[in-house]
Amino acid sequence: MNNETSEDPQPIEQELDHIGRVASAMVDGDLCQRIVTAQALALMFKNDPNDPFLAGDNYDVNDVEFNTTKKTLIRLARLAPFPCDVNLWMPIDGYPGKIQVVIRNVNELSQFWSFGLLYQDTIPPMQTVLDSGHRVTVKNKPGWISVLAPVYNSLGNIVGLVEVASRTDRATRPDAG
Amino acid sequence: MGYALKKSEHPSRRRFLQSALGALGLEQAAPAAALGFPGRQASRLDQAARHSRLTALPEFLRPDPFGGIVTADRNGAGGETAAHYPKNIVELECARGGYASFHLIVETAEPGSYSLNMRVTDRTGKIKTDLYREWFHRLVASGQLYPDALIPVRLPYQSHLPEPDNRIANQTAQAFWVDVWAPPDATPGTYTGQAELESGGRRYTLAIRLKVHPAVVPAKDIVLLDHNSYGDYWFSVQYPERVRQTSGNFFASDELFRLIHSYHRIFYEHHGIFHQLGYSHAGYVTPEFAPALEGEGRKKHIANWDLYDRHYGPLFDGTAFAGTRRGPHPIPYAYLPINPEWPASYLWWGEQGYEAEFVNVVSEMEQHCREKGWTETHLEMFFNQKKRYKGFPWDGDEVRFPKDLSYFKEYGRLLKKALPPDTPVKFVFRADVSWDMEQQFNVLRGVVNMWTCNESILSWYQGAPSMLRRRGDIVWYYDGTPEVTEPSSAITLQALRAWVWDTMGFIHWLAVQPGKDPWFHFDGGRTTLVYSGERFGLPDPIPSVRLKIQRNCIQDLTLLDSFKDKHGLDNLKMQATQLFNQSSPGRWWNPRPAFADTAPYTWTDAEMDRADEPTAKLFAHIDAAAWNRVRQYLMPLASEAT
Repeated sequence: MNNETSEDPQPIEQELDHIGRVASAMVDGDLCQRIVTAQALALMFKNDPNDPFLAGDNYDVNDVEFNTTKKTLIRLARLAPFPCDVNLWMPIDGYPGKIQVVIRNVNELSQFWSFGLLYQDTIPPMQTVLDSGHRVTVKNKPGWISVLAPVYNSLGNIVGLVEVASRTDRATRPDAG
Repeated sequence: MGYALKKSEHPSRRRFLQSALGALGLEQAAPAAALGFPGRQASRLDQAARHSRLTALPEFLRPDPFGGIVTADRNGAGGETAAHYPKNIVELECARGGYASFHLIVETAEPGSYSLNMRVTDRTGKIKTDLYREWFHRLVASGQLYPDALIPVRLPYQSHLPEPDNRIANQTAQAFWVDVWAPPDATPGTYTGQAELESGGRRYTLAIRLKVHPAVVPAKDIVLLDHNSYGDYWFSVQYPERVRQTSGNFFASDELFRLIHSYHRIFYEHHGIFHQLGYSHAGYVTPEFAPALEGEGRKKHIANWDLYDRHYGPLFDGTAFAGTRRGPHPIPYAYLPINPEWPASYLWWGEQGYEAEFVNVVSEMEQHCREKGWTETHLEMFFNQKKRYKGFPWDGDEVRFPKDLSYFKEYGRLLKKALPPDTPVKFVFRADVSWDMEQQFNVLRGVVNMWTCNESILSWYQGAPSMLRRRGDIVWYYDGTPEVTEPSSAITLQALRAWVWDTMGFIHWLAVQPGKDPWFHFDGGRTTLVYSGERFGLPDPIPSVRLKIQRNCIQDLTLLDSFKDKHGLDNLKMQATQLFNQSSPGRWWNPRPAFADTAPYTWTDAEMDRADEPTAKLFAHIDAAAWNRVRQYLMPLASEAT
């Protein structure tokens, strides 16, 4: 649509992988585990036919934990010399196979988030990261690159992952809404 | 925005559905022959004889493509309708500075070509007539056909029945929306005219008589009808040909700004306003909605005004509206790009750098607007984000948890710090409120000064709009847009309610999204009141029947309100509500429910539904003629005015 240019994906991929490696060291998994409130988690999977927006309406986070982590993610994204977002994804205790994005950032860059969904199915590359601790690069969507990297807590457990995302094309831009 | 309470599933939307179902129930209870409209059966498909003829219907009775009236409006085709054009003369009346409208219907004895012409005789040339072909949308859910999009046509108009591009098998009737405009300086009196149809070698005529009353519709609308939208990516979807013509540079092209201004113009000409929010839930600002920034911390500043000024300059000085019938005036309201990520980076939230970046840039914006003389438009600092979309830890839109209000207080402080106390630039702090509105009215007093309120919840707080206005605040309410399958008067309810409630405006929370294929697979139009004209070779948006009905309602309402000194505002509201649906202003409010004393985050949809039941019942069976009865009360007042 505008600026139909594309960039060499190789340096971008290397840069994103580098940020992912740093993120695994810098993002505080214990803090991340305290972002979403207990009530929000308790209602996340509750279906009430009389109140279809129950989970969304009651979605809530703890400000300090959210803001502290988000600032770390913003700093990590600034390591890239091109538009890049570092998003936080967390599995949900008691719901294997489900994962939620917990923090997104200003460029609205994510290969995986579907607008409006509180949680989603864990895609295989994410599961690989959660199981193995290895970083995984995903290029499912043409023109997109995401590096998934593990987030650890103080027990050494993998409690989440970051998606370091950018685009090799600059074909479209995020829209308001 | 992605509102929680702004979604179609909310009770306020269910109310419209109930309304439509009510209409259907009435229609089923009354056989077509009993509808009291001579020669205008519910449908003429079953009639063996097909005749050529030229007929008319009042604006609130929408035609179908077979010579009948659409299902949703048949409950308005009762006794009072039968008397409308009894001698096959279209009798119209309006005040000066206003429109009179009707549907003109062409039917031909056989499929084939026809020619249509029309004129209203006026030696001064001030009375203007606009003709639009009505597009019959095929609803994806039911297959029914409803007219809505209006395609401007030139006279004489020549075409065929069935209309080739509308692709309706066995179509026997083509409808046209007619607007007759009497400018404020038109001479009061009676004007005559005629519509002419030529078909099958024969000529058919229909007389038109227009009475222009001495009263003049005040230039300033008594209620602002706002049409909201998000960003501008949708232009590229709805106007692919315009995109192609800009060689891949659409979003920085003059064509983009021409289209933006064109959308403002179409709503302005229809007594409404247009909003475009220029940032996303995670804070991405679309470049043409903000000045370009550079630097960081105390060095952050505005580097370039180019795109912003091309976008907003003609809107803020009114030149975008040159040549319109209402004349060039600055837009009254516009969103600012301010959000938690703009102009200050959220990285610095809570630190002195956040304040420095915010104050520097907003101060520069104030100075720029002051120097340009852009002092008529309210510039809204508005936070649209919801925490469920994961960008920020607080809800800017429709706060549910009271702890989030601390962010509002901080932004209120920052805004005050950024602005000179005597600034002539109208910065306002807007909040869209639902669950927590009663608390927010108190806690954020002096911080927020523009409130847009959820319709259902505001209905529990009779007197709240007046209270807010007394302290100098601006107060609007929001809801969805009635679908075409609801009675034609459904859209007038929203404007009338704003006036009855003493709110200053109403927001259609999304008004420019007609869906992927509104022409043959139509979703009903609950998120649009205009359409892209590109399908018809037009570079601009085209209006709808609903937008026209809304416009005529607003001009009537503004005129009605102008008689308050003579007839008393309370009396006028009493008359209007009585005629509209045999009610009274007090019944347009619901009792404040007991659970309103509990924490809003404990409320359930079910109990909120119950709290809305009185007004839901009151508005469940509005008939298509509801607003017309108010208009019939108004016109004699307009005729007496000097």
